[in-house]
Amino acid sequence: MSIKLHDLITKVRESSTTSGVREIISEECVQIRNAFRKEDTKNRPRNISKLIYIDFLGFPTDFGQLECLKLIAHPSYVCKRIGYLGLSVLLTENEEVLFMSTNIIRTDLASENKFIVSLALSSLGNIGSVEMLRDLAPEVEKLLKSQTAYIRKKAALAAIRTIRFVPETVDRFVGRVKSLLSDKNHGVVLGGIQLLVEILKIEPKTISEFRKLVPGLLRMLKSLVDAGYAPEYDFEGVTDPFLQVHILKLLRILGQDSKKYSNQMIDLLTQVGTSSGMNKNVENCILYESVSTILTIESPNRLRVTAINTLSKFLTGKDNNMKYVALNTLLKGVNKDSKSLKRHRKVIVRCLRDKDISIRRRALDLVFGIMNKKNVKELTQELLDCLPKAEHDFRFDITAKVCTAIEKFSPDDQWQIDTLVQVLTIGGQYIRDDVIAIMTHVTGRNQELQYYASKKLYNSLLDDRYRNQKFIQVAAWVIGEFGDILLKKSIEENEPIDPSQIIDLCQIIITSSRNDDLTKYFILNTLIKLSTRIEGYDETIQEIIKPFMKHVNIEIQQRACEYFRLFEDKELLVFSFDRIPVKDENLETQKIEEIEENSNQNSNTNTKVQENSNNQLSPNNSNNQNKKKQEENELNLMGSNINISQNQTQESSSIENLLQLDFSNNNNQNVNKQTTNTQNQQSNQSTEDFLSDIFGTNNNPNRSVNNTQNIQNNNTQNVMDILGTGKGNGTGMGRGNGIGMGLGNGTGMGRGNGTGMGRGNGTGMGRGNGTGMGRGNVNTQKKNPSAIIYNQDGLKIQMNFKLVSVNGTPAAMIQSTFTNSTQTQMTNLLFQVAVPKHLQVQMAPPSSKIIPPNNNGKVTQTFRIIKKQNIKTKLTMMTRIQYKINGMPISKQQEVKNLPLIF
Amino acid sequence: MIKFILIVNKLGQTRLAQYYTTGLSINKRVALENEITRRCLSRKDKECSFLEFRDLKVIYRRYASLFFLVGVDEEENELGILEFIHCLVETLDKYFENVCELDLMFNIDKAYMILDEMALNGNIIETNKKNIIAPLHIIDQVSKKLK
Repeated sequence: MSIKLHDLITKVRESSTTSGVREIISEECVQIRNAFRKEDTKNRPRNISKLIYIDFLGFPTDFGQLECLKLIAHPSYVCKRIGYLGLSVLLTENEEVLFMSTNIIRTDLASENKFIVSLALSSLGNIGSVEMLRDLAPEVEKLLKSQTAYIRKKAALAAIRTIRFVPETVDRFVGRVKSLLSDKNHGVVLGGIQLLVEILKIEPKTISEFRKLVPGLLRMLKSLVDAGYAPEYDFEGVTDPFLQVHILKLLRILGQDSKKYSNQMIDLLTQVGTSSGMNKNVENCILYESVSTILTIESPNRLRVTAINTLSKFLTGKDNNMKYVALNTLLKGVNKDSKSLKRHRKVIVRCLRDKDISIRRRALDLVFGIMNKKNVKELTQELLDCLPKAEHDFRFDITAKVCTAIEKFSPDDQWQIDTLVQVLTIGGQYIRDDVIAIMTHVTGRNQELQYYASKKLYNSLLDDRYRNQKFIQVAAWVIGEFGDILLKKSIEENEPIDPSQIIDLCQIIITSSRNDDLTKYFILNTLIKLSTRIEGYDETIQEIIKPFMKHVNIEIQQRACEYFRLFEDKELLVFSFDRIPVKDENLETQKIEEIEENSNQNSNTNTKVQENSNNQLSPNNSNNQNKKKQEENELNLMGSNINISQNQTQESSSIENLLQLDFSNNNNQNVNKQTTNTQNQQSNQSTEDFLSDIFGTNNNPNRSVNNTQNIQNNNTQNVMDILGTGKGNGTGMGRGNGIGMGLGNGTGMGRGNGTGMGRGNGTGMGRGNGTGMGRGNVNTQKKNPSAIIYNQDGLKIQMNFKLVSVNGTPAAMIQSTFTNSTQTQMTNLLFQVAVPKHLQVQMAPPSSKIIPPNNNGKVTQTFRIIKKQNIKTKLTMMTRIQYKINGMPISKQQEVKNLPLIF
Repeated sequence: MIKFILIVNKLGQTRLAQYYTTGLSINKRVALENEITRRCLSRKDKECSFLEFRDLKVIYRRYASLFFLVGVDEEENELGILEFIHCLVETLDKYFENVCELDLMFNIDKAYMILDEMALNGNIIETNKKNIIAPLHIIDQVSKKLK
């Protein structure tokens, strides 16, 4: 017995508990399922409407999808209506059902009843899938010419979906737009305008053709603006505001970057801007749209000023909606109109204190938008004033903006430090992690401020040692790094600080349960650094560190153990924790350039290599090294701890000698490479090393062909001995590597990888990456086989294979290179590999997720295949490649056989 | 472009939902609706009618016990959408004569028809109340005759 929808709703409403509702619904669902099974055609529409209701309540209804198909196939309109409705509401991701409906929709599109055609068009417009839209595009095109305006307007919207999903059909509709725009029916024109906007998005080249429509559009807009009372489309005295808004929007697109067509629009835009009132929402709506258009197109200055003044009137008004849109629009004009915006700064800043979070968010963006070196002090202060009162979520946004402001617009270093300390004090827990990097940067750069910063932080920490964690971490780092300066200068200034005070403070912080583990890492580092900076406190520090050798946190435990052992070799200790060298401003950009150069395969590799080697032999060299070292050190801050500074002058220690040896060797290698190898291989090599280092391999036979490399390996083990940790276990190896790498490192890349990994994965990786650079013999690479495994749609994937051994197990090191020969770049690259069960695959992240077009550069991704069982076969694998081109996702899967590698 | 149109009551129960984006599973949809409704309901009358949620803007307006929520992307004119909501409400009012929550629940198919006449595929298509209701009246007459 099937009950009516009405009764079901009443029943649900009468039930007072959620479990009661659930019971009723599941009972009803059983009934409906039974009815479906019995092919109860009479009650089918009723059952579907009940399912729609059930769907709103949030219960699964997918079993009804097929019934909807049966309904839309029914000849009666009433059934069809419910069927299509059910289809659009109940259908979630089921493409198959949709596909099955294609033919029914095709028949309905050809129906003589305009309501049936409209139903089919609506559902095509609302839920049509790519295949459906491609199949039905000719029908939609035909319907654009229909006699009935009712059908034409719906066909226009179905066409929008068609070209949005199937861009290649755009040519079909380009020719149809003009006739739609000259239609008498407002709905059809509205549809036509929206179709045109979509076409311009997909096919921007057509803009010159469509710009010819500007005079006609202006006439249309003028007639709407000037029109008296038109009962059909009247909205509180304004004629069809929706059409006006859309015309303005289209004009904005057509007028952008075209002086000629912008000039044609000016008179009318001025009229729209001045004639309408500002009392009703409808009027404001048009005013708002015209202002956005004025700010976007090439309009003269006086018009822009008027537009901005209008927005400022919005801002001073009482209506919050107006404030919101005004802030939003001002942001668009920030670059071009910074002068006229200046006058409204006070109004904008006032919005930061608005009660409404939506408005405050917009205001924050805008305040940041108008920020420059001159006003940064004032505006940052405003932001900081808002911070304590702001909501939890919003505080993150504010501190992020303040930090960026500190980095980007800072007028002087002292202000930078003051503001940093201030933001740390007020909103430390809401601050992003790289605040530490900013602090390192500024203190490293300006030596005079090192004392200032460390004293300021020390004093405020002394005042209140229960500050937020970020604050303590930054303070700990600065005090550790510049402890000696702090002490020395404080004596000069007659306010001496006793070293034991600092160490006591550290002890209090590290033993307090209020502080989290990350802070404790920092304090451990501070202590160990202080031991090298202050004389005579080694024992006290050792005493503090000792209990942490049994700490429950493995990272703390490891650090404590390592540091404790380092005390046995004071020279190494001093050497390891030397002050971080000054960071070069251009570091990041240079790095990027380097990487780009490396990846630029097509251009003259020879000259490039030459340049590079020059670079390394010239005095610049040491500078480079410095920077790298510094990066490692910074990394250290985060994840690992042992590091050996390279630019120290070496004495008798064997390790250091080796260091030099290895060092010079690197340079030689580079020179050699001029003739034999391309820069590319160099970078390959370093990525590989990076990988293998992560996994703790030092006995890589390929790499140890080189003598120096061998020694280096030995040396690593020595250092491991120094540290007194077992070689066998995971951490032991990680550590060994760490040092081995610190020593061996010459140049290289993998910095991007580095930070990410170092942070995420604690020790092993952080360290592994610090080095990754010990370049082995590149020459062996030449002999390694390669194969092109994929060459479709302009994407080429080449693989280079190399046999290596990981802890005695044979493994294949595979470097895949992606190049793109199409005109457009490929984004969101994802490459996955699966191998048979007796193998195991380990992948490193790709060098970039974007493949530049026209073979203009390449992306590399390295992975290893390790043998788990000793079966000798030809290597086969399953690959899946996913990327986006022109925003279209593409996914391909294929099996790769016959690879030139047996293992 | 409009991403979705929702009508919910002040208890947060969905009374009508039309999505113009595909690929949302029922669980995600319910979660999304709950989250947006919760945020909208907690806002005060004087605050503006816009709410930023993930990468979309929600424009909402309250009519008696019903909230009308429209999710849009960056390009849409926010004030225009407010006007659209008002137009939708007026049209529903005209058709149902003093519309209330129950009208929408019992005649959900009619409500959807009105919405489909007004907007399609995330684009506004018709705002003339007479034009919107005309097809519905024809259909009502036909089905009366059938009975």
